[in-house]
Amino acid sequence: MKTTILTEEERKKALSTTKKPEVVERQKLNVRYHVEDIDVNDRPRRFLEAFAAILKHSNYKMVLDHFIRMTARCLRCAAACQIYQATGDPKDIPCYRSGLLLDVYRRHFTLGGLLRGRITGNGYLTDEKIQEMADTFWNCTACRRCALECPLGLDHGLITHLGRYILSEIGIVPRALVVSTRAQLEGPFKNTSAIPVPALKDTLEFLEGDMFEEKGVRIRFPVDVDGSEHVFFPAVSDYLMEAESLMGIAAVFTATGDSWTIGTGYYDGINYGLFYSDRIIERVVRKVDEETNRLHGRKILIGECGHASRTAKQFIPTYCGGSDATPVVNILEYTHRVWKEGRLKLDPDIVTEKVAYHDPCNYARNRWIVNQPREVLKAFCRNYVEMTPTGEDNICCGGGGGTVSIDEVRPYRTTIGGKLKADQIRKSGCEILVAPCANCKKQLRELVEDQGLNCRVVGFHDLIYKAIIFDESLRVEKEAQVIEKEK
Amino acid sequence: MGALLDFARGPLFRLTFAIMVLGLARLLFLDIIGMYRAYRRTTDKKMPWKLIFSRSFEWFFPVKRVIRERHVYSLLSIVFHIGLIIVPLFFFAHVNLWKEAVGISWPALPYSWAFWLTICTIASALFLLISRLTVKAMRALSLGRDYLWLLLLLVPFVTGFICANVDVGPGSYQVLMLVHVLSAELIFVLIPFSKIAHCVLAPLSQVVCALAWKFPPETDDDICTTLNKKGAPV
Ligand code: SF4
Repeated sequence: MKTTILTEEERKKALSTTKKPEVVERQKLNVRYHVEDIDVNDRPRRFLEAFAAILKHSNYKMVLDHFIRMTARCLRCAAACQIYQATGDPKDIPCYRSGLLLDVYRRHFTLGGLLRGRITGNGYLTDEKIQEMADTFWNCTACRRCALECPLGLDHGLITHLGRYILSEIGIVPRALVVSTRAQLEGPFKNTSAIPVPALKDTLEFLEGDMFEEKGVRIRFPVDVDGSEHVFFPAVSDYLMEAESLMGIAAVFTATGDSWTIGTGYYDGINYGLFYSDRIIERVVRKVDEETNRLHGRKILIGECGHASRTAKQFIPTYCGGSDATPVVNILEYTHRVWKEGRLKLDPDIVTEKVAYHDPCNYARNRWIVNQPREVLKAFCRNYVEMTPTGEDNICCGGGGGTVSIDEVRPYRTTIGGKLKADQIRKSGCEILVAPCANCKKQLRELVEDQGLNCRVVGFHDLIYKAIIFDESLRVEKEAQVIEKEK
Repeated sequence: MGALLDFARGPLFRLTFAIMVLGLARLLFLDIIGMYRAYRRTTDKKMPWKLIFSRSFEWFFPVKRVIRERHVYSLLSIVFHIGLIIVPLFFFAHVNLWKEAVGISWPALPYSWAFWLTICTIASALFLLISRLTVKAMRALSLGRDYLWLLLLLVPFVTGFICANVDVGPGSYQVLMLVHVLSAELIFVLIPFSKIAHCVLAPLSQVVCALAWKFPPETDDDICTTLNKKGAPV
């Protein structure tokens, strides 16, 4: 098995931490990410209590029971994991990581384990084991690529998710994520980036002005329109950082004339719950649903964001009414559909650079959105190349599982997490890398910078915006508007 | 000796086989109960059956996976599995045994096929053992029982092979035969209590995992109450 072992220098850089020793000492936790100050006493007992509470009110018992009976340690998963491939450290093997939690379960929650523990008197959960889990569960990017390679079908991403959930209940969770979630659920502005409504409206107006100048067509961001077909929730950070993607989306809707709206009651698609807590998932997902109902929208439309799309798609039915829940659509699905119906025209002479498509894990791993964006891209990008492996088997950008939002682990993400991705991008020789996910975009841009790659990372709708051709009738309107303006 | 062998082949065989079947049935039953409970608790009842079937199917015929990663290792472990299943069931002496013990019979494998399959199985088991011992990552991950299982599985294959193909004289033959039968029976008994249980559980994994991602709703309050966290900030 080949492993790309890092050079000593790279390893040092990747594993470096900016944490002060006294903080590590005070928090009794030697991990790369920052955590808030929390109770450090009696961690093992509290961990087990949280574990027990979660088991009682969830379905995890079924999975754990299923897998403690048969994990075989065959090591196939190792070849799939980009973290292990980069570090070559056995501790980064997916099966090893999942094994940590399975062992705790076996020892403390099964009859055999409890008996054995009684008799031998050892094996009780220790601070060291919790420390190891706190470290390794956040090294994983929860990309779930290893789940495809496990012959026994163990979904390591699920186990990582559960491990992080339990840890978060005893306060071990990256500060960056909790702070954002707090702003979203309890803050005055109800979103992770703390953007107030007036600022949002200003931004939208500003973008509308820009688009009019560039395209000569009135492209709008409808706000609070009751009864729209789609209520739109992007990753809220897009309003600050991904203007082009948003403009592309607005342009598509202008071209098709379908109704959509942004709700000022709640406009954030981000759901960090997916990365560390089912309780948070539920709270956030309900907000999305409430806002859609308030506006009498018929569909929930999620922007270019992998985890937001997957959480909405997967958990709106879970938490908001099962089969009667409001349908969830991702913007790529929408754009693909209208393009197929012939309602979206794209100019094939605009994008001439070499373009490659990066599959966000949360779209592709379950074969949800794989071919749709490719079909569209191939139709108007003359020079489209494919990276290998792609689609369902893609390699994660290296910033999945929420790690991209943890700024202090950037060296880790760009040297270890994104190592394989960087090699893959380099090999493809692309000049434009399309990554239709807010997380991937941020991580890939940092990767490009830190690894000195030669490409530009853009969103899918950035390119659509460039190449879109508007109907003449919209232009007529434009002239009318110009006249109006002159008056 | 002869009486002992008859006992091992007769009543003991039936007993250990029954333990295996009942043990595996128990595991299946527990699994299905667990799944049923989980299913009842979720509101979202729509299962991604297409994905589940195609993923499970991929592992029944793991061609696609083998050509992707770790070719030699994967190929040999498949050979190993095929041997483990086919030889005990279709070698002609075994077919007779099954007929006597459970009363049903089926066609046996041609002798030469069984011969080569056994050799392949033994060779692949040795390869797996060696790679567990030599590849650094595998050694780090393996537990004592992983090596023991490979060794234990080798015993009936090696002894059986010798009995069927080498003229060792009647005395040694009986001893080898006894070891052969007893080791196989030990395996039967251990299967439901070890990782080999994957022979019946693995096909359910895709369903279990798909179901596990369907969390039961409204657990926030319950968990907060249990953990004394009600009303606490996020
Ligand atoms: S989910 Fe991804 S990063 Fe985590 S162990 Fe599996 S392959 Fe590695």
